[in-house]
Formats: sequence, structure tokens, C-alpha cells
Amino acid sequence: MYDRMQELTKQNMEKIHDAAMDLLKNTGVAFNDEEALEIFKTNGHKVEGSTVFFEESNIQKALKTAPKRFTVHARNPEKNVEIGEDDFVFLPGYGAPFVMDAQGNRRQATMEDYDNFCKLIQTSPYIDMNGWMMVEPADMPSDTVHLDLNLSNMLLCDKPFMGSPTSRQGALDGIEMAGILWEGKENIMDKTVSVSLINSLSPLQFSDEMAGALIELARHNQACVVASLIMAGGSGPVTLDGVLALQNAEILAGITLAQLVRPGAPVIYGSTSSAMDMKTGALSIGAPELSKNIHLVAQMARFYNLPARSGGGLTDAMSADAQAGAESALALSTAVRGGINFILHSCGILGAYIAMSFEKFLIDEEVCGMVRNMIKPLALTDDSIDIDVIKEVGIGGQYLTHPKTFQLCRTEFFMPTLMSRKNPDAWAKDGKKRIDQVAEDMVAQRLAAYEKPDIDPEIEKQLTQYVENKKNI
Amino acid sequence: MTDFNAMIDALVSCDTAKVTDLVNTALAEDVAAGDILKKGLIAGMDVVGEKMESGDMFIPEVLMAAQAMGNCVTILKPLLGEDESTTGANVIIGTVKGDLHDIGKNLVAMMMGSAGMEVHNLGVDIAPENFVTAIKEKNAQIVCLSALLTTTMPMMKQTVDAIVESGLRDQVKILVGGAPVTQAFSDEIGADGFAADAGSASKLAKSFVN
Repeated sequence: MYDRMQELTKQNMEKIHDAAMDLLKNTGVAFNDEEALEIFKTNGHKVEGSTVFFEESNIQKALKTAPKRFTVHARNPEKNVEIGEDDFVFLPGYGAPFVMDAQGNRRQATMEDYDNFCKLIQTSPYIDMNGWMMVEPADMPSDTVHLDLNLSNMLLCDKPFMGSPTSRQGALDGIEMAGILWEGKENIMDKTVSVSLINSLSPLQFSDEMAGALIELARHNQACVVASLIMAGGSGPVTLDGVLALQNAEILAGITLAQLVRPGAPVIYGSTSSAMDMKTGALSIGAPELSKNIHLVAQMARFYNLPARSGGGLTDAMSADAQAGAESALALSTAVRGGINFILHSCGILGAYIAMSFEKFLIDEEVCGMVRNMIKPLALTDDSIDIDVIKEVGIGGQYLTHPKTFQLCRTEFFMPTLMSRKNPDAWAKDGKKRIDQVAEDMVAQRLAAYEKPDIDPEIEKQLTQYVENKKNI
Repeated sequence: MTDFNAMIDALVSCDTAKVTDLVNTALAEDVAAGDILKKGLIAGMDVVGEKMESGDMFIPEVLMAAQAMGNCVTILKPLLGEDESTTGANVIIGTVKGDLHDIGKNLVAMMMGSAGMEVHNLGVDIAPENFVTAIKEKNAQIVCLSALLTTTMPMMKQTVDAIVESGLRDQVKILVGGAPVTQAFSDEIGADGFAADAGSASKLAKSFVN
């Protein structure tokens, strides 16, 4: 298939692979966690201080056991998702400390904001999975907030969710709570019910929190995205070529640890590396380099037969304006078309991860729907071509009153809920509203229409109790 | 007692067979054809018009409902009195000379037809003198001119001028429409009204004759 974005040759990918092998063998990767170092030592890795070295055979062995696809189970089984190969999922934005309101006022995010995002996800026709820390609630104590986030994820939404990677204990709390939700921890030990985001600390390190969480999650068969977020020119080389080699080394090191803990543990090859803005030193995720990286990451993941993670509806813009729309749509569409399987940050992010916007969430969500429609293949059967209709209408006729048009007029095309198709007069009559203004009205409607999904009251009680007990320790 | 609501509902759900059935049943029960037309069919199409405007009904559905209504009007026509068969409006519609676009114009024609107007669709590339002839022949009260190209918009003015010269200007209301056409242009060339879409064109035409 012809695509003007760079298609890596086998030789290109082998070169990136070889560079990563060189780094892993000769420079190594630091893991700031005792158990991680122990695991590597036990499995014959050279370890000096906290630096772990890898032979190519270590990596190849891990790649043999890492699955190319897996199912994430939801408490409502109809909402289970498949991740890998042709199957992909959209997830919301992640990790934003602020909420940007429609008038451009930035405020600290609250638990109520977090819950409202859970509600938007639950009512979303296009977002497949609940996320983690869509916003970071400033009104909750930081050492126990992961409990509240888990509780909201589990109670307010019955889609599969992301897990808590904040620390080893954070991961364990998430696993315990998932155990309650599935009526016994034994029921999830061989069943993936969460995906957590484990980030490397570029260049070439994993923090103790991340390494500890990765070990616990893999041990309990919970999926991990092992992701590198390099700022090219800052935390990694200034060329994307170098970034590809460096992030490949980091990701493969993390994946190897997961496979040593539990062969077959589901992992995702992830990166949202992008360019550093050379005028300010800030990360830019609206940059075309991001989309370039997304496209290349998807190819490298396929090279290793692994599911891929990248973003997303990403932008540097501070409001849901034309810049936000353009940057977000470019990255999102690249991710879907390139074959990314776990599309984090699909909706809501503003200002290079600094804020979530409820309005932008709805706009991006609609773009997710449009992109999903865009890639839906045609059937191209006799029935779908239906040459008889074309002959019947003949030369110069019209199809608008044909019964087939009537029959398919609601289902054949994507029907936007936000994107305007008004003529100038209708647009003017309705107050010349921009899409962010239309979205602002719609956020309230969506939240008002939300209904909490049914849950066994006994399970809800136990989950709430678990959180209470943990907070009172 | 005929349930006109059932007729309205059937029309709104584009159920041609059911509407036809209900009309025939009503006639068998000696309900006046004029009542069936006004209280059932035209009332139903009013609801359809509202639903189209609010986005609850799609164009092919509106046209399907219009077709269902058309079928029923054919049944009713022989039974209707002289003055109750239509809303009284004879409409001439066409795309002006030099312009071959007709989808939007046909949509307007169908919408007006479904509102009970007698629509004579002349087609595309219609010269000013042919509009004049048609007004005379059909004794029209409304003339609708369509153009999609900025290059054929001046032909709308020439057509209006031709109607003025023919002495028929006072007999007709002239409506203009098409993507590049605006209210300001309509005023400038001396037309009586402009509509941005098929639904409002039909509404505007109705307001001129009622």
C-alpha cells in the first residue's frame, strides 16, 4: 500500500535494533529497585550497581514469550477490548494537573473533575477504555489518591480501565481492588483486567516506583505499556534516528523485566517521544515530529510482533482552537492509520499535557469517531455496489428519493454531533458558535444524561470499605 | 370519528402503505376529502417540516413522506372541490440559463410539493423568456430561481427584469436561492425573498400565499 509517510525497510529496522542491542550490552539501563536488580542477576544478567546489561539473547528470549495480542476484560463483558494486530482502543488523556475551562481559565483539577471524566467515558460512543488520572485531583491527599481514582474507575464506568502504576504499593492496591471487583483475586491472576502505564526515565533509567509497579503488575498478569517519552534534543538525541535507537533500548529493557517476572505477561511497546522546542526548552507534542515518531513506533512494534502504544489527540494549544484541532487530528489519525493499538490521550489534552478540557474531550472524541469511520473498509460485494440501482436511475437522474437512499440514510454515513454542517444563514441564526462553544453546551447535557452502571451492592460496599480502611492506616 | 393523529404518525414514520390505507378507510367512512387533506396530510407534513428543521428527520425520509402524501393526494383529487385541492399556489421553479445544477432546486421543488403547492419544475438552463411563458401558462403565483455559480447569478437579475418587462411582476412573488446567493443579492436584483435551504424555501413560499 502506498503511503507517503516513511515505511521502514527490514534493513532500517535491523539497524535500529542493532543500535539498541549495542546500548543495552555496553551502556546498560539503570533500574532503581532492589527486586528488579535481583531478578536480572538471577537470570544471568551482568549488573553493576543499579546498571543492568543485556545480551541480545536475553531480549530475544523475552520477545518469544511476550504476546502479540490480548484481551482486557471489563466488568461488563460486552465491553471487553482486544489489543494487538488490527485491533486498537481509544483512551482518554492522562496525567493533567489542570482543567482549562472554555473561557481559557486554568484551575487545579479536583476529584469531581476526575469523576466527570469517568462519566464522559462511560457515555462515550467512541472511547473504548477508561483511563488513569485523566486529571490529577489537587483536593485529595497524594499518597492515597490512587485509591479514589481506582474506586471511581470501577464504580462510575463499566468499561475496562487503566491501572495504578504510581508505586509498587499503588499497583498492589489496584490489583486488590480488581480482585474484589472480580469476586476473588484468584479470578484475575490469569485474566488481564487492567493496563498500566510504565514510563522509563530517559535516558536509560527506570525509577523505583515504575520498576516496582511493573514487577507487581506483570506478576499478576496485568498488562503494562512500557513507554519512553523522550524530548528529542533534551532527554534524548536531537535526531529522531537516535531517539528511535534509545527508546527501543529502554522499552525492550522494561519488556524483558516483565517477561522475566512472568513469561507471557501482556506488554505493549510504547512511545510518545517528540521534539523539544528549541526556542523555549519545552516539550512540543503538536510537532510533526510526534506524528513521525508515532508512525515509526508502530512499525518497530510490528517488527517485534508486539502491540504498540502512542498518542493521541495531542496538542500544544492552550484552548480548544484551530491549532488544537489541527495538531490533535494529525497525531490521532497517524496513530490509527499507522497501526497503533493502544491510543492513549485520544481526547481532552491541551497545552502539552498541562491541562484537560471537557470541551476538547468532546471534540477529540468526535474525531475518534470520524477516524474510525474513515478506516472502515468497503464490502465491495454485488449487493453493496448494487449496479441495478445505478442503471435504474440512469443518466442524469437523482438518488435522493430512491428507496435505497431512504433505507440507508441513517446508517451509511458518519453522523457528527458537534462538527457543524450549517449553511451561513443557519450558522448566523444560531449565534455563529465555534465548535468549542457548542461543545460547552454539550458537556452539561452529557453529564446530565449519565447513568451509573449497575453493580452488585455488596461488591460496591467492599470496594468502598477497602479504600476507607487503607486511608485510615 | 377519524383519527387524524394516526394519519399524521404514519406520514411522519414514512409508512406509505399505512397512510394510504388510513386515507382509504377514512373515505370509506365518508370523511370529507378536504378534511383528510388538511387535518391529516398537510398537518402531517407540517410535523415532518418541523422534524426536518430540528434534524430529527433526514432529507430522504422527508422526501419519502412527501411521496406518500403525493400518492394520497392523487386518491383525493377527484373528490376535492375546485378551491380546496391545493394551498392555492402555483409554483414555477427552474435553474437559470447557463447553469446546469439541479439537486438543490429539485429538493426545493419536492419540499414545496409536499407542502401542498402545485409545483411546475422547468428543469435546468432555463432562459428568462421561458420563465415568462411558464408564468402565463400556469398562471403562477410564485417563481423560484436557482443558481449555483457566481457566474450565473447575473442571469437571475436578467430573469427578474424579463418578468418585469412582461408586465407579470405584480402577479408573482420571486424567490431566489443557491449556495452563493444571499439576502443582500436578492434585495439588489429586486426579488421578493431568499431562502438558505429547502425547508425554509418551502416555508417562505407558503407564507407568501397564505
